Amino acid sequence: MLGVLSVLILLAGYTFVSHRQHQINPEDTTIPNWSQLSEGVKKFTQINRKGERWIVEDSIATGRRFFYGIGLGLVCGFLTGVLMGCFSPVEAFLQPPIALLAKVPQTAALAVYFVAFGTGMSMYVAMISLGIIPALAVTVYLAIKDLPSEMIDKAYTLGASHFEVVLEVILKQVLPKFIDAVRLAIGPAIVFLIAAEMVVGDVGFGYRIRLQFKLTNMNVVYPYLVMLASFGFALDYGLRFLQARFCPWYQRDLK
Amino acid sequence: MTFTDQNNFGLQCKDVSHWFGETKVLFNLNLDVHAGQFVALVGPSGCGKSTLLRAILGTHPPHRGKILTMQNGRLANADRPGRDRGIVYQKYSLYPFLTALDNVALGLKLDQTTTSFRWFNWSGWSKKRSDFRDQAAAFLKKVGLGQAMNLYPSQMSGGMQQRVAIAQALIMEPEIILLDEPFGALDEATREELQEMLLRLYEENAEIKAAGEKPPYTLIIVTHELNEAIRVGDRLVGLSQYWDWKSEGHECSPGATVVYDKSAPVFRSDERPEYELFDDMRKEIRKYVYNPEVLQHCHEHVIVNPTH
Repeated sequence: MLGVLSVLILLAGYTFVSHRQHQINPEDTTIPNWSQLSEGVKKFTQINRKGERWIVEDSIATGRRFFYGIGLGLVCGFLTGVLMGCFSPVEAFLQPPIALLAKVPQTAALAVYFVAFGTGMSMYVAMISLGIIPALAVTVYLAIKDLPSEMIDKAYTLGASHFEVVLEVILKQVLPKFIDAVRLAIGPAIVFLIAAEMVVGDVGFGYRIRLQFKLTNMNVVYPYLVMLASFGFALDYGLRFLQARFCPWYQRDLK
Repeated sequence: MTFTDQNNFGLQCKDVSHWFGETKVLFNLNLDVHAGQFVALVGPSGCGKSTLLRAILGTHPPHRGKILTMQNGRLANADRPGRDRGIVYQKYSLYPFLTALDNVALGLKLDQTTTSFRWFNWSGWSKKRSDFRDQAAAFLKKVGLGQAMNLYPSQMSGGMQQRVAIAQALIMEPEIILLDEPFGALDEATREELQEMLLRLYEENAEIKAAGEKPPYTLIIVTHELNEAIRVGDRLVGLSQYWDWKSEGHECSPGATVVYDKSAPVFRSDERPEYELFDDMRKEIRKYVYNPEVLQHCHEHVIVNPTH
């Protein structure tokens, strides 16, 4: 109930500020009022000259870049973490580069990705995945290192093979922590993607926001921001649901 | 084959020595455990009880000497953990992501099916799984946890967790079960209940032995509580670094060895323990095992393979 109230207060506050701004300047587009906003929504949902709707082409372009990038990042991050956690040579070999990579700000390294991968899909995928791999790998690796050796020794007394120890004892305990790490990685991944789209995109959310901002069409920019936020929120909610579904013990642990 | 004490070793430690750099821990330790014995291992802190237990478990094999356990019907080197030895720890005794039932069924699953079977033979696996769960449920009932089968470890009390952990080890029917201070974190009443549970296993042993068969449960329980050792064990083994090594020609202490090995009185599970009666035995153990002033010859109080 209080949550609904706070959202209502936020909306009322926006309406008030927008109203005052329009009293000063009726043509203002920086804080659009509700009728201007609905015009903006119309603008990006109607069919344009190329026979496309902005919202559709932007969603498809950004969505594909995001999911390809994050998908590759998840797989590589998880595998890297597991290999580092289970094999000490891999651990020794990969720890320095991972630690270094984790400290490079991806948005500052954009130029490097443009040079190395051009401006197509491969650039987005490389940037997002390389951006999230260090954090994911380190989380998985530390979670494995945290497991008491007693649990692993005991698995052998219960007749487990090496493979079964990894699969049935280690991975099952790492899974919920991995899901937590993915939840945290979604935010940075969206930041990297939007930043890159703003610089070199010709379609997509970042491109559209930059373009419409230059025209001070904030009635398009704000709805786009709301959609991005909802997307992040929905993903986070979905991941929490998966965690509760597949790791019920972990939730109980937190209580 | 009929059961005799002589041909049924659960464990043989032969001249086991272990050290960490300059620190000598175990020296020429010999210990034979027969099937059906409940050995209580006591000793001053730092004497190497845990080192010995880990050596027997196979995670840290000894630097010198041999540890043999019964594997597939014959004595073999215990240089890595295996399904012939069960372990119950004081902490981390259960897998937090499994319910009590699945914790107990885990061993059956890992031991009797393979990953590819579980992945590719779904109908076969679901049949086996319900079979394993039935067996696990029967074991949980046996240790008095019929009500708690679907609880996760974090929802259970310490005593319940240790019961499940013991059931988890028992269901594998190992040749020997190692218990490392299993009740150390529990309150007195819960401790006694769990001791009674172990004594019931001992009674089962006695019945089966009386029928001429090999008793199913063999235990080594490490404990710092002498009353517990005397009550649960039918044999008391004292490990100590305080023995007369000078007369053996050593310049510094070569490490702990077995300085005390005697049979202990056997108690029924429904018998209230009268700890005053343990007094003499406690005094003797305190003197020869725990007291650094009393340095006896290392074989003086060792009666190898005491008869019952």
